[in-house]
Amino acid sequence: MNKTGQRLHAAIRPATLPSKILTSLLALSMLALALLAARPASANTPTIRLFPTTVVEDLRHTGNVARDMETGLQEVIGRLDQQQQLYLESKCEGADNDSGCQRLARQIGATYLEMLTIMEERLPDMEHTVNNTRLSLEKNLRNEIGRKMTPWTLQETLVGTAEAKTTQQASPTLRGRSGMRLSERFKQYYQLVATSGSQGDQSLAVLASDIYLDMQETSLLIERTRQEIARATLMEQLNQSFGIITPEMMEVVGGVKTILFGDEDSQALVAGPPPGSVEQAYRSPLEQ
Amino acid sequence: MTNHRIPKSLIIVTGLMISALLVTSCASTKPTCDTPQTRNLTTAINSVENSLMNGCHAHFDRYYDDLLTIAEGDPKPENKREFSEFLVWATDKGLLSNRQAQDHYNRYFNVKFMSLKGDYNNCSHTCPNKQKVLFDMQRELSDKERGLLRVSLDNDGYYRADELFQEVELVLEATCSACSAGR
Repeated sequence: MNKTGQRLHAAIRPATLPSKILTSLLALSMLALALLAARPASANTPTIRLFPTTVVEDLRHTGNVARDMETGLQEVIGRLDQQQQLYLESKCEGADNDSGCQRLARQIGATYLEMLTIMEERLPDMEHTVNNTRLSLEKNLRNEIGRKMTPWTLQETLVGTAEAKTTQQASPTLRGRSGMRLSERFKQYYQLVATSGSQGDQSLAVLASDIYLDMQETSLLIERTRQEIARATLMEQLNQSFGIITPEMMEVVGGVKTILFGDEDSQALVAGPPPGSVEQAYRSPLEQ
Repeated sequence: MTNHRIPKSLIIVTGLMISALLVTSCASTKPTCDTPQTRNLTTAINSVENSLMNGCHAHFDRYYDDLLTIAEGDPKPENKREFSEFLVWATDKGLLSNRQAQDHYNRYFNVKFMSLKGDYNNCSHTCPNKQKVLFDMQRELSDKERGLLRVSLDNDGYYRADELFQEVELVLEATCSACSAGR
C-alpha cells in the first residue's frame, strides 16, 4: 500500500470503529438501565453508582448518533461494493486508457468521497457524545472506585458474594482489553448483561472500566480521523480529476466492510475453565 | 610385688562422667531439620510438626514449601484442610502470628489476592504503585496455581483467581487513568 493508501486507510478505519462500538452501546445502555432498575437492594454489599441515569442517557444518545452514521455508511459501502464488482467484471484493472473504465473509476471515486463526507459530517457530533460519556464515566470511576475504595474493597466488589459467584458461573466472561475486535468485545458485554440478570457491582465495575477505556481510545481515534479526513478527501479529489482508481482504495473499502459487517475469521476467544473441576466444600477458618 | 587394683567406686564415677559427657554432647548438637522423607502428606505434616517443636522453627517457610511439594504428588481437595489445620496448629504453638498464618493460607488456597491488602484509597495509594501491585499479584497467581490447581485440584478456584487478576488489571487501568485525569 502506498502512502496515500495508508493515509486513506488510517482515515476511514478508525472512524468506523466508533460507529460499531456505539451501536452496541445503545443496546448496552438500555440493558444497563434495566439492570439497575431490576437489581434488588442489598443491605450486605456496598452499592457503587457507576451507571447513574446521566451516563445511561449519554450512552443512549451516543448509540443513536453511531447508528445514524453506520446506517449512512452501510448504504454507501453497499453501492461501492457493486461498483467495484462491476469494475472487476469489466476487466478494467490495467485498462487505464479505456474511457468506460475511466468513467467507472470516477464513479467509484465519487462514492468514496461520499463516504468520507458522511464521516466528516457525523464525526463532530459523535466526538461530542463520546467525550460526554467518557467524562461521565471518568468522574464516576474516580469517585466510586478511585476514592471510595481501597484495593481490598475493590477486590471484594469484584469477587462478589458467594451467591453471586454461583449464579455467575454460566455467564460469559470478560477477558479485559485483550486485543480482540471492539465489536466482539461489546457483544460479550451485551451477553454478560443480558444473561446474568440482576448481578452485583462486580460486573458493573468491569463493564464501566472497559467502556471507559474504549471511549478513551475512541476519542483519540476520532480526533485523528478528523485530521486525516481532509487530507484523504483532497487526495481523492485529485484522483477524480485523473479518473484513477487505486488498489489502495479498494483495500480501504474492504477494510471498512470487514469492520462494519463482520469478519468470520476473527472469532472472539473466550477462555474456558480448565477441565475436570472439583466441587469445593471446605472453608478454612483462616480464609479471608 | 604390689598389686595395684583400681577401686570399684572410681570405675563407677568415671563411667558416670563419661555417660554425662556423652549425654551433654548429644543435647548440644543442632537439630538436622531435614526435609520429610515420606510422600504421605499427613505423615509429613506430623514429621514437620515434630521438627518445628524441636528447634527447627526457623525453617518454617522451607518446610511449608516441602509440604506443598509433597501434596503436589497426591493432589486432592482435602489437602486444603490439611494445610489449614497445620497453619492453625502453628499459630496455636506460637510459631506464626495469626496474620502470618492467614497470609500463608490465602496466598495459596484462596481466590482473593493478599497483594491487594491496603487501607488507603486506590487513587492515592494503589495507582502510584500500580505496576508493583500487578507484579505482586502475578507472582501470587503462580502460588495460587500451585495451591489451588496442583495441590487441591480446585480448578474453578484457580480459574476465578486468574479472572480476578485480569479484572483488577482492567479496573485499575481505567480507574488510575480517571484518577490522573482528575488531578
